[in-house]
Amino acid sequence: MSLTPAELTSAVSGGIGSSPQRPDGNLKVRGEFAYASDLWHEDMIWGATLRSPHPYARIVSIDLTEALQVPGVYAVLTHQDVPGQNRYGLEHKDQPVLAEEVVRYQGEPVALVGADHPETAQRAMKRIKVEYEVLTPVVDMETAADDTPLHPGGNLVRHVPVRRGDQHAEAEVVVTGRYEVGMQDQAFLGPESGLAVPDEEGGVDLYIATQWLHVDQAQVAAALGLPLEQVRLTLSGVGGAFGGREDLSMQVHACLLALHTGKPTKMVYNREESFYGHVHRHPAVLYYEHGADHTGRLVYVKARIYLDGGAYASSTGAVVANAATLGVGPYDVDNVTVDCWGVYTNNPPCGAMRGFGAVQAGFAYESQMDKLAEALGMDPVDLRIVNAMSEGSVMPTGQVIDSAAPVAQLLKLVKDKPMPPLSTVVDLRDMPGGVSNTTHGEGVVRGVGYAVGIKNICFSEGYDDYSTARVRLQVINGEPAALAHTAAAEVGQGLVTIMQQIVRTELGVERVTILPMDTSIGNGGSTSASRQTYVTGGAVKAACAAVREKLAKLAASRDLSAVDIAGTDLTGVDLAELLGDEVIDETVEWRHRATEPIDPETGQGNAHVQYGFAAHRAVVDVDVELGLVKVVELDCAQDVGKALNPQAVLGQIQGGSAQGLGLAVMEEIQTAGGKVRNPSFTDYLIPTVLDMPPMSIDVLELADPHAPYGVRGVGEPPTISSTPAIVAAIRAATGLALTRVPVRPEHITGT
Amino acid sequence: MIPFDYRLAPDVDGAVAAATGWGGVAFLAGGTNLVDHMKLGVAAPEVLVDISRLPLDAVEELPDGGLRIGATVRNSDLAAHPAVRRDYPVLARALLSGASGQVRNLATTGGNLLQRTRCAYFQDLSTPCNKREPGTGCSAIGGYTRQHAILGASAHCVATHPSDMAVAMAALDAQVTVLGTSGRRVIPLVELHRLPGDEPHRDTVLSPSDLITAVELPPLPEGTRSLYRKVRDRASYAFALVSVAAVLRVEDGVVRDVRIALGGVAHKPWRARRAEDVLRGSPVDGSPADEEVFRRAAEAELAGAAPLAGNGFKVPLARNTVVSALRGLSREER
Repeated sequence: MSLTPAELTSAVSGGIGSSPQRPDGNLKVRGEFAYASDLWHEDMIWGATLRSPHPYARIVSIDLTEALQVPGVYAVLTHQDVPGQNRYGLEHKDQPVLAEEVVRYQGEPVALVGADHPETAQRAMKRIKVEYEVLTPVVDMETAADDTPLHPGGNLVRHVPVRRGDQHAEAEVVVTGRYEVGMQDQAFLGPESGLAVPDEEGGVDLYIATQWLHVDQAQVAAALGLPLEQVRLTLSGVGGAFGGREDLSMQVHACLLALHTGKPTKMVYNREESFYGHVHRHPAVLYYEHGADHTGRLVYVKARIYLDGGAYASSTGAVVANAATLGVGPYDVDNVTVDCWGVYTNNPPCGAMRGFGAVQAGFAYESQMDKLAEALGMDPVDLRIVNAMSEGSVMPTGQVIDSAAPVAQLLKLVKDKPMPPLSTVVDLRDMPGGVSNTTHGEGVVRGVGYAVGIKNICFSEGYDDYSTARVRLQVINGEPAALAHTAAAEVGQGLVTIMQQIVRTELGVERVTILPMDTSIGNGGSTSASRQTYVTGGAVKAACAAVREKLAKLAASRDLSAVDIAGTDLTGVDLAELLGDEVIDETVEWRHRATEPIDPETGQGNAHVQYGFAAHRAVVDVDVELGLVKVVELDCAQDVGKALNPQAVLGQIQGGSAQGLGLAVMEEIQTAGGKVRNPSFTDYLIPTVLDMPPMSIDVLELADPHAPYGVRGVGEPPTISSTPAIVAAIRAATGLALTRVPVRPEHITGT
Repeated sequence: MIPFDYRLAPDVDGAVAAATGWGGVAFLAGGTNLVDHMKLGVAAPEVLVDISRLPLDAVEELPDGGLRIGATVRNSDLAAHPAVRRDYPVLARALLSGASGQVRNLATTGGNLLQRTRCAYFQDLSTPCNKREPGTGCSAIGGYTRQHAILGASAHCVATHPSDMAVAMAALDAQVTVLGTSGRRVIPLVELHRLPGDEPHRDTVLSPSDLITAVELPPLPEGTRSLYRKVRDRASYAFALVSVAAVLRVEDGVVRDVRIALGGVAHKPWRARRAEDVLRGSPVDGSPADEEVFRRAAEAELAGAAPLAGNGFKVPLARNTVVSALRGLSREER
């Protein structure tokens, strides 16, 4: 006997398709939510990290004598105190927990201090004497592969070629371009924080703000030389992530100090340290050539893409594969030649950030599409629609798109939206420069731009991508109550709400408690690649199905066959009566369809499990005299498969679009000679409410038959098309080429 | 943070006395700049003299129509003061374009004048900086110079002064009252800040125990208009790439009085005397208040600009901002 899933219109409120209140919502708005930086333990000490001031240097000597003499200092540690493997990394174990002979980027951890007070730790840190022999840093991504090798094996992290069709195709109309993308930061608001608590048996419990508990656990255990069961991680309150918490920051450091001193150890980065404490979005240089016939049909696309991975590999390999496999965008092209290289340099390490390689390529291929439209004398949206891929299209990797790909429809939706009126009443807030009073409308030119993008959802290239969920059902105080447990990180996106919604829908139980996320349960996978609702949501749904099977057996054993629990939903069943004192507790590992590695020579293979699409229209007013841009409106259409939580979907689209606006016109980590010049929120600018315009958003729900409930990942696609749409609008207003983001006043006024 | 002595100033004279005789002394008012710098290790005073409770927090309207602003008047309060909003819109707008509401609620008038540069190298203890440690060299020259000076810099320092308020006050011919060990003196605001020369560690002409007690604004003649225009990388919470404070009186299409100061371009609020001369024309005839004259004036001022590798864009940007500010003021006039 088996039970089928409940109807999506379950009688229980707060199920999928609705937008119930988030359990963490009120707390966050009231400032009462406990973030990782609020962690506190009696008798704890504070850890601090001494970092390299140089992008590239040999460590001649480290003298800890004076630091150890500072009253209140419990420990000062270097690489010699790392008991396990002093190497970690997401894809390549190439990064030392604490530097040994060389430092490869400014901000690389060299030593740790544990002290009774953060000020004491800072004071002691200043007394550590490190003698460096400064070396000439490698900073140019285009020549890095042939420059001084920074790692054994040289500076090429990964080269992904994609070859499809005729490699010598020719076309009637050809446009070429060179594009640059600056280094963007995730700029999450809650800085890196954690608390490590040693146990009595030589193990440690780590409470940490992260994106992926199990991959942290594996790396921490290896560095500490401990078996996995002696390193237990619990997710603490996470204030945003966007990819920046996928790599380790202080995870090993806090545990080292805790195990060394036997005392609970807390570490919190300040904003400046946070800029050095996590990876950034890869800066990129991209060369493109598009060939089309006179009707606008793309004949071929050629691209050479360079991504600056910085000092350590992090997830550079996967970012390279994304930029390469998604490098022509959501278009049908028969002949493709793409090469993408990710390299080591002495710039800050770069890795995961929302959009993950698709952002850099997206800026370039959409800029090319506008250039091609101009060369053909075509409307830029018409040109895109002529070439738009659709269900059944073949990717440059040979993969067939086997679910909805409504690229043309998304473009039409944003194009058909009414235009914002030209303002007749001057409201300074609507003007470029805003309340800075830079203009009252004179010298202001309006421009409109469009873009569409493609993003892979979930992990790719044959990675065993799964999540584990446990669901428990029992009667509490006479009422059925469910409990769900996973190790999937809630980082602010609303996963805990989605999990509650799924359990409510599947079991017909309104009271659903979500246990803290920790490593006492199996891997939940990363909160990355727009995958948690898909994969952990799928696991929770599968665990609920297992619970229903048990319910059915229970019903059979109790001979309650009078009640039709084999029917379409559970609403007619008195669960409390059926369960009695029984507790049903099921744990399930759930996988999405397998993907394949791509061929290293041709890039062919079913690399990705699902694709997400979004399109934007940007309307800008540009003060061409002063180089100021006001994004007047930023509209979006996106297919989400099924909106499990419509409010959260809109939030993701708004946030992703804002992050794309940031890259378009202001966000960039400035480096000079490998050194970061703006490590603060005063100098690294992110959009404020005055910069972000209102959005009109169309959400399509074209279910993917392969995904739970038909969902399609939501978080990343809007980040990809937002940036090129805004830049296209600025180009339309100014007539300038604008081949680099962020676009700044000087690019508009000229020098 | 490095240990320091803390003295609460009993009165204005006592504040100066408490600050006298120390090598490293700083007055503490709002603390929005100084405390940050102490945390970063950029500033390490031996003694802090707390002047935040001195009775210097009043804005007085003077009999001649001018205004006296106490040194500890908060930026928010000054921007909201009815006399400032009515008579000196350039100042209200400059104040409101600076920092954030939270910072403006704490920051004081005197402290704003004395805030230090936002040069990245000045704040980075791992790099040489002549302003932070005299004689060590300037890391900005040859480095990242997008935010740096195009006017009046030296081979020792290319930093800019970060204040918006001070730029407006420079255009208003403000006078700064200072109490020192030898008594009270008045310094024109445009002479308070120095160009870097070979002593870039000295931002102003003040000695460490000199206490700013007030800033006086002379009255503006009837019919004078003023405004502040700030160009920056986002709509709020950002320092000026270029800013312009302009005070203009036009009669019958002819410039009768003009005062212009530029921000974001020099080590001090930059009074644009050359541009003013062009705009005034001959004392008898004046110059026509038109676009061509505005442009000539701006170009005259910027003829002496010496941009660095990363900030050449500031020259046309400053020119355009001056022209646009003057155009805006002269249009308001009509």
